Amino acid sequence: MTRITIPIGPQHPALKEPLSFLLTVEGERIVDSALRIGYVHRGIERICQNRNYVQNVHVVERICGICSHIHTTTYCQGVEALLGLQVPLRALYLRTLLGELERIHSHMLWLGVLAENIGFTTIFMYAWRDRETVLDIMEEFSGGRVAHAVNVIGGVRIDVDEAQVDSILARLDELEQQIEILLGVIQHERTFQARTRGVGHLSVEQVRRYCVVGPTARASGVNVDMRRDAPYAAYDWLDFRVITAEEGDVWARTMVRVLETIESLHMCRQLLAELPEGPLAVRAPRRVPPGEVVSRGEAPRGELVYYIRSDGSDSPARVKIRTPTLTTLITLPDQLRGVNTADVPAVLAGVDLCIACADR
Amino acid sequence: MNNETMNNERLESAMLVEAILQALRETFPAETVEAQAVPIGETFIALPADCIHPAVRLLIKRFDLRHLSTITGQDTGSAIELLYHFWDGGGLTLRTSLPREKPHIATLTDLIPGAAFYEREVSEMLGVTFDGLPDPRPLLLPDDWNGEAPLRQRPTAPTPGPSPNPSASLRTGSGGGEQKPPPQNWGGLRGGGEEETQ
Repeated sequence: MTRITIPIGPQHPALKEPLSFLLTVEGERIVDSALRIGYVHRGIERICQNRNYVQNVHVVERICGICSHIHTTTYCQGVEALLGLQVPLRALYLRTLLGELERIHSHMLWLGVLAENIGFTTIFMYAWRDRETVLDIMEEFSGGRVAHAVNVIGGVRIDVDEAQVDSILARLDELEQQIEILLGVIQHERTFQARTRGVGHLSVEQVRRYCVVGPTARASGVNVDMRRDAPYAAYDWLDFRVITAEEGDVWARTMVRVLETIESLHMCRQLLAELPEGPLAVRAPRRVPPGEVVSRGEAPRGELVYYIRSDGSDSPARVKIRTPTLTTLITLPDQLRGVNTADVPAVLAGVDLCIACADR
Repeated sequence: MNNETMNNERLESAMLVEAILQALRETFPAETVEAQAVPIGETFIALPADCIHPAVRLLIKRFDLRHLSTITGQDTGSAIELLYHFWDGGGLTLRTSLPREKPHIATLTDLIPGAAFYEREVSEMLGVTFDGLPDPRPLLLPDDWNGEAPLRQRPTAPTPGPSPNPSASLRTGSGGGEQKPPPQNWGGLRGGGEEETQ
């Protein structure tokens, strides 16, 4: 059969962020694909070298428009380790709270994107409507829907009071009911299963070969989660399950993410119930003693790594950022091989791409 | 999550690092293998550049340590340093130094295919050649990039201060290159000049 090469992107109505694909098809089947990223590369690692540690909190927050808070958390905990700062417990709890709210927001946004990509607009509408609840909570807490500017080196900037805690708890209950309804629809809707089961399959071996992280790895049965494996912030004091699935396809990724959302709701409740009293931050010196640090966190898409080297001045000598999307992007040619052209949007949505994160 | 099992897991990872260090010291000249503890719970092991590939092969074969988180490349001024960050319940980083002139090192993609993107990024950002890398195209930089390695250190200007007038650099250029576009001013707040690179 004749082979045809179809370019998709970098500017394309079906793509949310710039990314370029060359798909080689034989009839309806994809036989090969090539990938090009870098269209939103902003040179953030170099920018960080030219700014001081305090300014960089705001630079790294702007890497991603979805998971901004985990970037500042991972960056701040790295700098705090270099400074030898003991961050107050209340600050760690509030950091974790916002991190889990962000995960709920990210996963629900993802569910909407997947549903829209496979033509299931009802779920898209419901998921994004319910996601507003979390965005409202985050906006009331920090003043920002996406860029929260809550973390500072040495702690957090913003506190919650009793009334806010009660209001958040009430809305979390509401949200949980909505997510349960969504979960029910997903589990019982045959068209949803038909579009996701067996699509975009990744085996355990492929996950390990490509060093994939996060929900994509967990959906293939690889039990990794930085929140449990390298407990940072307040995760050491929390009781939670790491959700895994065996199938390794888009269906498994959906289940892992939706169940993780419910798990995150439980974690938010625990954090608010056990919120310790105390100061919000300790004072951090502007100059950081020479040294290096590797800081890891679990972003909504998986393991996030920061390497920071200090030369003793007030700005870092090197900041290296590895975002989780980079690990899933490299698997796309494998996932796309052999799938039907109509399933490409499901595969692309399935791994939860964040191109802005990957390009930095 | 059970806190007791967590502590046991972390204990095991400390023992694992100890075992890895011993295995590396047995395989390679012991005086070249240097270990250093780095926050947060990370161990850095320095190795000569030609030992990196066999060392990773050993980590995979003997310890099943296959999760390469990323590769950090940095220009320390005197050398190009590569850091291979591994993770297996605890952080382990292999560190090696390459000369600033024509740095090259064996690719890891034959052992860990996931290393491809990280190697391509280090390659374009610092001008390091990875011998045997199947697809050495740039990962993030544009196709018409002028070939400069953007994360290389620029020679420091004699008087550090605010960044120089960009139009001045357009007029003076760096001499020699006729068609080459003027070097970008990456010096910014750190006061680096924009004399020629590398």
